[in-house]
Amino acid sequence: MSRSANEVMTLAAKAARGAGAPPAQAAHFGRAALCHLSADRPEANLTAALDALPGGPIIAFPRFFAQLAERAVDGRAQGKQATETLIKSYAEAQAFDCKTTVTSGSLTVTMDLTKPAERHTLKRIVLSDAFFCKLENLAAKLLVPESDASRLSGAGAGLTDND
Amino acid sequence: MKDYISPPQTELRSPDEVMRLTRMGSMFPTRLSFLRTLMRRLSAERVKVTRPVWQMDADGFGHAVYSLTLGGHTYSLVAISTDLPPELRTDRVIATAWDSAYVLYDGVPNAAEIARIVASAPKQEAARYTEKDLVLSRANKSVRLFAHVTESLRAGRQPDTDMIRDIGYLMRTTAVYGNGKFGIADRQVIDTRPGLEGPFAAEMLTVWLIRHFTHELAEHVGGAPLDPALKRYLGIGNSTGLGMAPFLVNHPVLLNNWMLVRETALARVRAVEHLDADQQANLSRLATRAAQHLQEWNVPDPQHQARIVALRADWETLCAGFDWSRPFALEHAMALAQPLAPDAQELVASLIIEPFGDLVDGLADCMGDPFGAFAKPIAGTQALKTWIERDFDWALTPDYDAQDQCGQFWYVSEAKAEPRLGLRFSESGAELESPLDIGRRIKALHHALGKADVAVSECLAQHPEHALAVERVEMAERYPYAEIRDNLIATSCLPIDMLRCKLSFFGAAKFDPKSDRWTRITLCQGAPLATDLQTNADDWWLPVFAA
Repeated sequence: MSRSANEVMTLAAKAARGAGAPPAQAAHFGRAALCHLSADRPEANLTAALDALPGGPIIAFPRFFAQLAERAVDGRAQGKQATETLIKSYAEAQAFDCKTTVTSGSLTVTMDLTKPAERHTLKRIVLSDAFFCKLENLAAKLLVPESDASRLSGAGAGLTDND
Repeated sequence: MKDYISPPQTELRSPDEVMRLTRMGSMFPTRLSFLRTLMRRLSAERVKVTRPVWQMDADGFGHAVYSLTLGGHTYSLVAISTDLPPELRTDRVIATAWDSAYVLYDGVPNAAEIARIVASAPKQEAARYTEKDLVLSRANKSVRLFAHVTESLRAGRQPDTDMIRDIGYLMRTTAVYGNGKFGIADRQVIDTRPGLEGPFAAEMLTVWLIRHFTHELAEHVGGAPLDPALKRYLGIGNSTGLGMAPFLVNHPVLLNNWMLVRETALARVRAVEHLDADQQANLSRLATRAAQHLQEWNVPDPQHQARIVALRADWETLCAGFDWSRPFALEHAMALAQPLAPDAQELVASLIIEPFGDLVDGLADCMGDPFGAFAKPIAGTQALKTWIERDFDWALTPDYDAQDQCGQFWYVSEAKAEPRLGLRFSESGAELESPLDIGRRIKALHHALGKADVAVSECLAQHPEHALAVERVEMAERYPYAEIRDNLIATSCLPIDMLRCKLSFFGAAKFDPKSDRWTRITLCQGAPLATDLQTNADDWWLPVFAA
């Protein structure tokens, strides 16, 4: 089954929150996961990142890009990471222009705060059943079970509308 | 590239004044509302609506397809009407069946695609959709009015005008889904297409076509045509609950752009020094129309009805004081409203923007968010602290430990994965709270910033939980209207104010709150019919009953 880009991004972000990521880092992960899967990169990288919470790339990579931005006093800055597929996806998910180049075993990220990122064409995504279930199960940890009181008052509406 | 000189403008009203729930909950539609922009576009292109499929039984159950071409692309509304038992008719998102279901389709569907949509759309969230499906919606009948209209037409007479005026729609939508929900097309598929670039343009097109369908369905069941003047007044209802409220918090750049455009439009017209005779006459005519609109706006809720009654009185006072012949008459009109309630102030703002399409309509192109947030980093934690103290007084003021300042919490329900609002001290689930507590988070960040000046990223290494607050503070300089400057978890927070703000940008009028958490509204009331697009397509601000 193919899913829309927005579905995948939203579900990945919710899964990260369900797995314990703070909301901003979870949102970054959602955007990065979409870029990752759009580029046909392995789901396993995303699974590993979710499993690494409360540490790992979901926490570290947004900070890496924040550090790059802080260093971009004239608008541009570079930073290095050990070659890691997921960092490319995070770079592609930035609002500002971010390029990655691999040289001698490490990956260089160049950020340009004077240019917006290129618009990526988002494509529909087919998730494996196992990965989809993992995301769904993690995202479900955020859901609050319904009670009689919440069903009646939580949304604030009545139950029939035959007027 | 063509040079463009911005028209003169006054200072913008400050975000501190504008971005308050009370004011947001007093907003009216303007000519920059999305439906108005869409209708101007449809009219400019002289769009023709065709009906290639109409397979409806005598009771009005079956399906239909409507098609139109806009900006070089053809779109079709597939409408399915079903026989719904009364006990299943609810406006709430927990419903599982509706009187009618709709898909806005990219192109003209063939028989197989129609069959697919007819089978899936009535299931709404329980089915899956494809990239050819742009918008998914459903609507329930106004049972009273639909029955009355069809019975009247069958009896060879037009329906009672009082009922038409008092209800104003034959059906009301209870959800209009776009942007990839349940597998439909992502917004990116259409957001560069002429006519659909603006926010919610595809959704508004869907709503307008649904209204068209409801008219034709009633005429089909009634066996006779409705008076066109009555049809023009029959809009499409909408029932909106809490699901819409978090959108404004979760899309700060969009919120900023909508509000900034509206405030810029207001600032441009306030700077107009002299009004010619036509402009003066137009403003007087519109002010009179607004008075009639207020008279026709009646709701069952006593508290909101009292607000409308008070606004009628304020409006009478204002109309007596408007002097469109004096210099800076529009600035003067705003000044007249200043001592009055926000309802009156916002109605004046909406009125004085209305006649000045040449000054403001181009601003509608700036209401989208094609790029995302461009917030540059703040240099160090002491600068961050200074920014918070400069721009976020509203967030620092509340004592979030006090029960009334944190008495509510936003959450997502397991039953329907929809946003809800709970009472923190009497309901369970607060540990799963959604992060809509922006003010509390910013105050917590401020508290966590020590005296040492270190890089913000270094601070976040120790306190990753503050990253959201840092991002929102960083946005403040570039996006000054991005934040609702109120405590959204206070016991006093009324989500209905957020709903009214968003719905006014859609073009909604006749707000009919059913509680502080959901409201009925009317969309497209007075909007051109499909047959009206050649003429007079843009003069329907605050429509009144003309029959």
